[in-house]
Amino acid sequence: MSDPLHTPLCEKLGIEYPIVAFTHCKDVAVAVINAGGFAVLGEAMHTPDHIAGDIKWIRDRVGGKPFGIDLVLPSAAPEEKTVDELMAMIPAEQRAFERSIMKKYDVPAPKEAPDLYTWGGLDQKRALNQLEVVFDERVPVFASGLGSPAFILDRAHQLGMQVWGLVGKPRQARKQVEAGVDVIIAQGYDAAGHTGNIGTFSIVPQVVDIARGTKTSVIAAGGVTTGRHLAAALALGADGVWTGSLWLASRESDLNQPLKERLIEAETEDAVFSDCISGYTMRTTRSPWHDEWMSPEAPPVLKPPLQMMLSSDYIQASLDYQRKDLMTEAAGQGIHYVTSMKPAKKILSDLVEEALDVFDRFADSDD
Amino acid sequence: MSDQQHDDGEQAPFRSGFNAAYAGRRAECDGGAPVPGTHFAGRQDFAGTLTGDYRDFGDFPWRWYLMTSLTVKPANYPYEAVWCDEGNLFLLD
Repeated sequence: MSDPLHTPLCEKLGIEYPIVAFTHCKDVAVAVINAGGFAVLGEAMHTPDHIAGDIKWIRDRVGGKPFGIDLVLPSAAPEEKTVDELMAMIPAEQRAFERSIMKKYDVPAPKEAPDLYTWGGLDQKRALNQLEVVFDERVPVFASGLGSPAFILDRAHQLGMQVWGLVGKPRQARKQVEAGVDVIIAQGYDAAGHTGNIGTFSIVPQVVDIARGTKTSVIAAGGVTTGRHLAAALALGADGVWTGSLWLASRESDLNQPLKERLIEAETEDAVFSDCISGYTMRTTRSPWHDEWMSPEAPPVLKPPLQMMLSSDYIQASLDYQRKDLMTEAAGQGIHYVTSMKPAKKILSDLVEEALDVFDRFADSDD
Repeated sequence: MSDQQHDDGEQAPFRSGFNAAYAGRRAECDGGAPVPGTHFAGRQDFAGTLTGDYRDFGDFPWRWYLMTSLTVKPANYPYEAVWCDEGNLFLLD
């Protein structure tokens, strides 16, 4: 049997295994790349200078191997406000509820103001400034974690870059495939953070069908944390997998130790879909903040970014003071399978080995 | 389809325009955005009527259309209009 893990994605990228690690930690990215996989570094929260620094750091350590940079391009925008104007908009009821949570759980004030306070309002111009760095550095792969990247295709392809788009609905995939996006990441409901409402097992084959006959590759995302998931994704017709939660507790991950322990302890039911952190519904691990805001006595959750401004002191303080009991992080339903702090290279090899075992089992059953 | 471009002035980070073919058409927007300064983001669904007004950002351009009379919007969304990226806009009519 030919190698079932050598998919068209491997040919497209020049990699050994069709496993993409999405991470906010450049050490994880480098480890996965050097172990034969691919990595995309999330940079949505960073300034252009920071992004440029990270790109150079990765390049210095991967010996010419390809890698990707992810930005979260916005796809909808209301009118803009300054940070001070936004803070003034937080109603007294919600502010009082936040204060009561801080008091009830003995949460101290954070040591520094969260980055959110200094970043300013959201606008398309900021995204464009971030994109310019990606173009200047000719990053091999640009991935958009939310909005369609179709508008940059011509420029990116002229620079020899690939363009990837993450989708949560089949119609988003159709539009991006028709535009010529190189890879579609079909993300299912199991995923961490800003997932759509369609399950992984439902969205992946639909997107595969949409992309059939085109040059666009499809990779599966949402709950992928084992070799069985990898084998299943390939059976659904995907050319690879996009993995996130799998790396959060890895040895190389820069998350702090108590948070890694918290993630290892977390079960699938702990990865809850709620708007209480940011005002957007997203999947994060349950914490006292979630429990309080999900109670019947809680006031209405505020719109983004006001709810994020309300929660940011709690989140920052939980990290500053290493309060595992308070911590939360974006994690998917596959968190059940994150059970130890392994080196990224071992995580990758375990994934590969288990996937090959699945394919061997089917091959043996034919005998 | 004909577009008319209007300059908003040297300081605007976008170029405004009007697409008559889109004015009055119903559409859905698969919206969302990152939360500034964090690694969080979220999706938001909208539906409403396009005015035809658009803004082009950058040299690509990156076109955004104005949608009003929202019939679908997030529960805590306080406005009656939203700008939507053309790449995530789906016409219903």
